[in-house]
Amino acid sequence: MSSVPSAQKAAPAKKNKIRLFGREYQTNEVLVSILFIVPTLAFMVFTFILPVIDVVELSFTNFNLKTRTLNYIKLDNYKYLLGEEDFWKSLLNTVKYSAMKLTLDTALALFLAVLLDKNIKGKKFFRSSFFAPVVVPMVASSLIWIWFYDPNVGPFNQILGWLGLPGSQWLYHESSALWSILLFSLWKGVGYNVILFLSGLQNIPDSYTEAAKLDGASEWKLFWKVKFPLLRPITSFVIMMGIINSFKVFAEFNVMTPDGGPLGSTKLIVSYIYELAFTNGRMGRACACALMLFALIFVLTQFQSLVGAHKTVDID
Amino acid sequence: MSKATKTKYAYNRHPATFILLLILSLAMIFPFVWMILSSFKTAADVYQYPPRWIPSVWNWKNYSRVFSMIPFLRYYWNSIYTTVVETALQIIISILAAYSLVHLRWPGQAFITALMRSTMFVPMVVTMIPMYLLCASLGLVDTYAGIILPQITTAFTTFLLMSYFASIPQDMIDAAKLDGCGPTGIMMRVVVPNTKGAIATATLFSFLGNWKSYTWPLIITSKTAYRTLPIGLKYLTQESSSEYQVMMAAAVMTILPVLIVFIFFEKQLVRSITLTGMKS
Amino acid sequence: MKLKKTLKVFLAALLVMALTGGCVSQYVNITTEEETAAPTTKAPEPGSTEAPAPSTEADIRGQKLEIWYSLSGASGVLFEELSKKFSEEYGVEVELSYSGSYADTASKVSAAMLKGLQPDVVVTGSGQLYSGGEGDFRIGELLKTTNDFDTNDIFEGMLDYCDYMGQGICALPYGISTQVMYYNKDILKAAGVDMTNPPKTWAEFYEVCGKVMESAGDNTKLKAFDTYDEAWLFKSMLMQNGCEIIKNNDGKITPIFNNEKAIEVADYWKSLVDAGYMASGKHGTAAENAFLGGTLAFVASSSNRIARWTGTTTFELGAIIMPSFGSAPSMALGGNVLVLLTQDESKVTAAWKYMTYMANVENSTTFALNTGYLPTHKSALERQEVKDAIATNEMYSVAFSQLEYTWAYTSFQEMGTMDSQIKNALQKLEKNRGTAQEVLDTAVKKLQEEIDDN
Repeated sequence: MSSVPSAQKAAPAKKNKIRLFGREYQTNEVLVSILFIVPTLAFMVFTFILPVIDVVELSFTNFNLKTRTLNYIKLDNYKYLLGEEDFWKSLLNTVKYSAMKLTLDTALALFLAVLLDKNIKGKKFFRSSFFAPVVVPMVASSLIWIWFYDPNVGPFNQILGWLGLPGSQWLYHESSALWSILLFSLWKGVGYNVILFLSGLQNIPDSYTEAAKLDGASEWKLFWKVKFPLLRPITSFVIMMGIINSFKVFAEFNVMTPDGGPLGSTKLIVSYIYELAFTNGRMGRACACALMLFALIFVLTQFQSLVGAHKTVDID
Repeated sequence: MSKATKTKYAYNRHPATFILLLILSLAMIFPFVWMILSSFKTAADVYQYPPRWIPSVWNWKNYSRVFSMIPFLRYYWNSIYTTVVETALQIIISILAAYSLVHLRWPGQAFITALMRSTMFVPMVVTMIPMYLLCASLGLVDTYAGIILPQITTAFTTFLLMSYFASIPQDMIDAAKLDGCGPTGIMMRVVVPNTKGAIATATLFSFLGNWKSYTWPLIITSKTAYRTLPIGLKYLTQESSSEYQVMMAAAVMTILPVLIVFIFFEKQLVRSITLTGMKS
Repeated sequence: MKLKKTLKVFLAALLVMALTGGCVSQYVNITTEEETAAPTTKAPEPGSTEAPAPSTEADIRGQKLEIWYSLSGASGVLFEELSKKFSEEYGVEVELSYSGSYADTASKVSAAMLKGLQPDVVVTGSGQLYSGGEGDFRIGELLKTTNDFDTNDIFEGMLDYCDYMGQGICALPYGISTQVMYYNKDILKAAGVDMTNPPKTWAEFYEVCGKVMESAGDNTKLKAFDTYDEAWLFKSMLMQNGCEIIKNNDGKITPIFNNEKAIEVADYWKSLVDAGYMASGKHGTAAENAFLGGTLAFVASSSNRIARWTGTTTFELGAIIMPSFGSAPSMALGGNVLVLLTQDESKVTAAWKYMTYMANVENSTTFALNTGYLPTHKSALERQEVKDAIATNEMYSVAFSQLEYTWAYTSFQEMGTMDSQIKNALQKLEKNRGTAQEVLDTAVKKLQEEIDDN
């Protein structure tokens, strides 16, 4: 901003002060703030506070969508879930999926970003091709992949055959179904993080790297000693969003294996909640399950923010 | 942008990298190629074993079958409309909130920030059941408002903008104050014009998030008239009774316009992310 | 620091919740405990004055009906066409929405019914959505007063299909299907099997599967048999073998598909997998894809595939009557029914007119012949177009000749749960996660818990 005018007028603010909760504030700032924060608050009440209160309350009832009964049953839903094989299984699937997705997605994105950071021919094309799957609708792209995975008429087994490798049952076997969806979601999502890492790499001032180069550091050392630490805020951001998003994932699982896959191997906690609520009509149980999921994500993200103390998007 | 000054000879220094990237990006593109080819296949081509890659005849009928099965354009319009409104609302609300949280001082800031952060941890699936009941009570089932309003979550965009707003030098704001600008004036004349790139980035993230939204529209819509594209496509998989070539034709029509827009704006999109960077 | 602050906020939120407790119920038309004892009647009492008087066509002109349906593919397109024809003839506006699979439709309608947002008429799989579960038997009443629809002309099994737990009719049959055993004539010919004398029992079928597999040679992909809907086929097989699936004791449902008759069926099922005739856990779309791809000799699927597949396969398509355990064939019905859901009394006449129009002899026969769903009226078989169809397409003759062996099982609320439990059990069985006895015991136990809990 070169057009900042020289200060001429004296600040008249002194008079308009207000004391609230033992502190002094500018009256006009407080008034404007109230006006500005009201929309956020209104939507927060509507999309978060009210529903969460209801979820807590419903989790203590046997609210049933189909019979429309609603009685308070104390902790029965929680007891039911803790004793239910499907609950633990879907929880385990979720943890397995999230851990793998988080690790592979972050590592692959970082790797690709480092490659793209070099001065390479066709860089724009590569960048676009990695980012393109991100913008296409999830459902449309999972339709394509369902066919890739068909053990009989899909091209994946055909390609494996050409390479002399045995075919896989992909989505139809309990040992491969979850990883098949993971492979799809890596294809779908990696570009997002590539762009984030790439922007971070390109923002590293040349002076940092030049100095290291003069010291005779190898590319490998240069990356781990200089660039990677500088990327830490972005890595931390990517991991936190990764945790939150991988626990929310639903669409690709619902489209690719609507019934939870072979032996329930692709039933994630979110699919389980959806099944409880809308397929079985057991809203009470679903709410109890949803609250437990919330608790889990909360704990994990708190843990993450303690470990990766430097955060990016947080202000305090 | 410092990289732009690098010399051109670097092109030939990474042949291995180039080949690796080429293979990977061909793998990324392969599904799109497959989709386009499949959308022209006949039923017999689709079920051929071993799989046939190139259609035996170029069969355009699949495209007209999509239109006879589902109101495709209506779905498209619904998706665009809801996404644009959601994004616009999210961004406006986020700008206001981010500005007042960063540059103004008022009681309860810390509390609101913390509350907002906790909303980020709650997936839609947790709140969707009571949200559905609430929306049903308000008569919002099968309405645009019912699709849009519950999806206005602003925490992510607000935090994103807050980090950029915080980077505006205090001198600049003080100067504007001395110049007689009130809080609103500072926001409109100083903060927003100086963080255009950041706002564009937030808009992009928000748009992408809304465009793919699935769980909520699936629950809140039951009539054909209000389905968005993802929901329409989900139903088409069943509605077309796994006529794969028809699904692929629908997928092409869904994806192509998005890809074209993306290719046009890709440079700007990526630059806006790169220029502003992620602030630490 | 941050952790503390967030925790504080969370505790504050909990406090708010405690203070504002009790706001859930205001969103829901709750049935309280006392009321559940006697099912709430949303519809007019049977025989009450509210039963609509016979009305003229003019009365319904200009009304608007909202209709949801689960019919997909060509069936869905034809269903829309017939509905539009009704709309033109009677001047009633129809708003049609495809509502997904049977399970999707059931959950959508249940959710909508919480707030009275359900459509006026729904066409979907039977059982889960029967208005009988709501104590709504309006259709039975309407049938008494109407001349539009003659129940005596309907196949008995299909009327049973529309009956809710023996309490009365609460739906009209429409788009009902049975399972047909489709086969790939080329594969069978190569295997040297004489299909003019098709296997009639599952034991004979097992032999044929063996011959198919012998002829496979190095075609490692080839399998002999699979099914689109394993729960549906398994239930038919149970009934063929004399297992009643469930016992209905005055409205108290007890699943019994873990008795020795059921174990026999499950053991046969497992023997198909063990012998390598059937792939484990690849039913559903994968099975049909394999069949259409020419790597599966037999597939058991709904009769509505007749219209979908005829002329699109790369091989010659055939069908035989489903084998049986007993001496005579026997098949469970499946498919759709028309259910009246409207809560608006003024729309009942129009909705009823629509339902009887769609299900009348002429329209239901047109629908059957173009989709492979079954004709519902006995008199349909006398019609020339049906005779022609049977003469020209052997698959129609197979499907329609199964009509006399079809029957319906008792409809009850947890039918969807039963099917998913059966699917789970079969999956575990196929993948060696338990013996037939173990997996069926678990399924029965879980289903019983769900039934008792409601």
